[in-house]
Amino acid sequence: MATPFDAQDVEIAWCPGCGNFGILQALKETLDELGYRPQDVVVVSGIGQAAKAPHYLRVNVFNGLHGRSIPVAFAIKTVRPELLVIAESGDGCMYGEGGNHLLHAIRRNPDITVLVHNNQVYGLTKGQASPTSGEGFRSKAQPWGNLSRPLNPLSLAISQGAGLVARAFAGDREGLKGILKEALSFRGFALVDILQPCVTFNPVNTYAWYRERVYYLGKDHNPEDQVAAFQKSLEWGDRIPLGVFYRNPQPTYEMKVEERAKRRRNLFEEEEFQRILQEEFAQLL
Amino acid sequence: MVDITLKVGGAAGQGVQTVSEALSLILARHGYYVFSIEDYQSRIRGGHTFTLVRVAEQWVSGGKRALDILVCLNEGTYQLHHGEVKEGGVILGKTGNETPGRGVHLLPLDFEGVALRLGNRVFANMVATGAVLAILGVGLEKAREYVRETFARKGPEVVARNEEALEEGARLVEASGMIFSSPFLTEHRDPSEISRRYLISGNEALGLGALLAGCTFYSAYPMTPSTGILNFLAARAEAYGLIVEQAEDEIAAINMAIGASYAGARAMTGTSGGGFCLMCEGLGLAAMTETPIVVIDAQRPGPSTGLPTRTAQGDLLFVLHASHDEFPRFVFAPRDPQEALNTVIRAFNLAEKYQVPAIILSDQYLADTRWSYDRLSCEERPIRPLFSWDGTSPYRRYALTPDGISPRLFPGGEALVVADSDEHDERGHLTEDLALRKVMQEKRMRKLEFMRKEMRFPFVLEGKDATLIGWGSTWGVLLEVRKTLEQKGKSIGVVHFSDLYPLPEGLKDLLKRSPNPVVVEQNFSGQLAMLLERETLLPFPRRICRYDGLPFLVEELAEQVEEVL
Repeated sequence: MATPFDAQDVEIAWCPGCGNFGILQALKETLDELGYRPQDVVVVSGIGQAAKAPHYLRVNVFNGLHGRSIPVAFAIKTVRPELLVIAESGDGCMYGEGGNHLLHAIRRNPDITVLVHNNQVYGLTKGQASPTSGEGFRSKAQPWGNLSRPLNPLSLAISQGAGLVARAFAGDREGLKGILKEALSFRGFALVDILQPCVTFNPVNTYAWYRERVYYLGKDHNPEDQVAAFQKSLEWGDRIPLGVFYRNPQPTYEMKVEERAKRRRNLFEEEEFQRILQEEFAQLL
Repeated sequence: MVDITLKVGGAAGQGVQTVSEALSLILARHGYYVFSIEDYQSRIRGGHTFTLVRVAEQWVSGGKRALDILVCLNEGTYQLHHGEVKEGGVILGKTGNETPGRGVHLLPLDFEGVALRLGNRVFANMVATGAVLAILGVGLEKAREYVRETFARKGPEVVARNEEALEEGARLVEASGMIFSSPFLTEHRDPSEISRRYLISGNEALGLGALLAGCTFYSAYPMTPSTGILNFLAARAEAYGLIVEQAEDEIAAINMAIGASYAGARAMTGTSGGGFCLMCEGLGLAAMTETPIVVIDAQRPGPSTGLPTRTAQGDLLFVLHASHDEFPRFVFAPRDPQEALNTVIRAFNLAEKYQVPAIILSDQYLADTRWSYDRLSCEERPIRPLFSWDGTSPYRRYALTPDGISPRLFPGGEALVVADSDEHDERGHLTEDLALRKVMQEKRMRKLEFMRKEMRFPFVLEGKDATLIGWGSTWGVLLEVRKTLEQKGKSIGVVHFSDLYPLPEGLKDLLKRSPNPVVVEQNFSGQLAMLLERETLLPFPRRICRYDGLPFLVEELAEQVEEVL
């Protein structure tokens, strides 16, 4: 389906069959269906294959540093609350290099949506373990198999009371769109961990592997219940739940700032500048 | 001519800053120029901390080593500093009973005991202040006024007790019956006829400069000695509609500033050398995305954690080259608070105009030292964002132009704004077209020669016997050394740099004309000397380098200059 968010004249650098294609299309359609115009949207990304996504969208783009998309997105939203701000990158970028920023963005609760293409592997650097790779995952860099346990981003975010925490699967576009809609419409910090098969470097977590395991959380799941959400987030293996695990509406960072720092000074007008100058100088006497 | 130096010392948390600040402000209200330098340790309580306050009838711009008065809030102060008191000087407070000799007056006073009799240990600060004022021969009228203003918000009871404390302190000095060789300050002044002096520290000036520059976003991680800027700006966030965010680390701080600037804010971050290390990657991001930001590096000795609360000028070559590969940047090092105020506005304007990072080098000495001035001025004015897109042709964020400056827009308008840390095409999309890469690198680097034309010539005072060359916070002490050596019949010139990179044109001729150059710096190697050698191909072998974490004081530096001549 064509959308106003389709980029013209770009060459996509992803592998054929990559889960990223499904995520990209779902995002374009969701933005369109939610009624956004490209100029209202800023997509901030880091580095990695997933982080190239904003270049394949017709939106405002800030493709920054590896791991650093969240502080950039936070600042853009704080300065321009009227813009829709999305931070989009992979598991290595968001959970590895940028893990600390994720933790603190949860505390600040800016109204941004963080989309993590989670393929449990480093693609662009050719196949090393990522923070979400399973224990024992073998690669050139982990010849003994991954000695560390995988990070559970959902449990982490839920335990810290994040605004909205969800998991989606790149192989189910309609399901993904539904979750993206909820996340993008949510007022506050939203984390969407998107399970994305890597057709080149992750022979374990394939489309088929996921299709056998994933299921959507039903009506019996209460996303307002932090403990239940946490418990659900621990489920991984034969059955992998998808959907909105947790929802915790609270005032956003930019709302708090707007309340407190409303005043505007026009320093470009000489009279106002002089007045402020004299006022400040008087305090130094 | 009055020119006295006093030192207030004690343990951290004992009130050293309260006493020295009270004395500075009160004496400034009596029409004296004051200059105060803080020396403190990286701890919250205990240890040893002191403030050096110079009080003079003429404008002063540096600290002296020889003390007229030593105020000991603890015994450690006496042990450490009694040797610095000159003949006829006074040591008061917890002095112990040993007489230092040399005609030094010893005045053991129990500030704390008096304070406790008044009801609280905290009044000891005003007891000490009252005592010092009595020794100086200064009436208490202005001091009472200061106390009333300072403690007003704590209620009339606190004001009254502090006023009593002042009087008690003065009475103790009178009761001692001690006759000082001369009243230190001349009494003929009528305070009502004296114009007040402005007192301002480097950190206050940098903060104020940012406000006046129209800064709307400041993100930082607390790090001595830059933290004062964060506190200063946070206190005014509401009045100025300024967003101040304490980031989780310096990496976040600079990325936030860049994001804010991309979105339309005037953004700044501040740190010290160690934090700047973490910001290097972000500095490159600002350069590659051509996003204007201002970064303050308040230097302290390193490497690594180094000496957190002491001063240094060790980061010049570091910030000049920080982050990988090459890109244009501005580097400024204001010489005093007055200039710092203007420097910040210039840095914001030039960062905006050229879409590059602008770095301001401060240091602990500049940050914490309080200067006094007859008047303060602010010549610089903030410029409006420069949008040069004509609105008709397709918008290209990185369009190639003769001066390398492309049309900047903020997101949210009709045109989409695409910024990229990868090498990119004119639209901002990432590219691996290597011919284009060459063109884009040339576009960015092209700005440098235009930026050079914005840079100001060093401050110059001519001298026949030698020329002291320095940068940043050492300006004041170089002026003092020149004066001191002039009294000994020597003619000393000063060439002082505040604009460090790109260096302005025409320097070589100036430096060639400067007799016997001696480069004075607070680092091990002489980094400015190295930079000047590189840029002018002239040799600067004579260097005076101090790197023990303490600032140059007038007498010591004058002696060192005499030695090398």
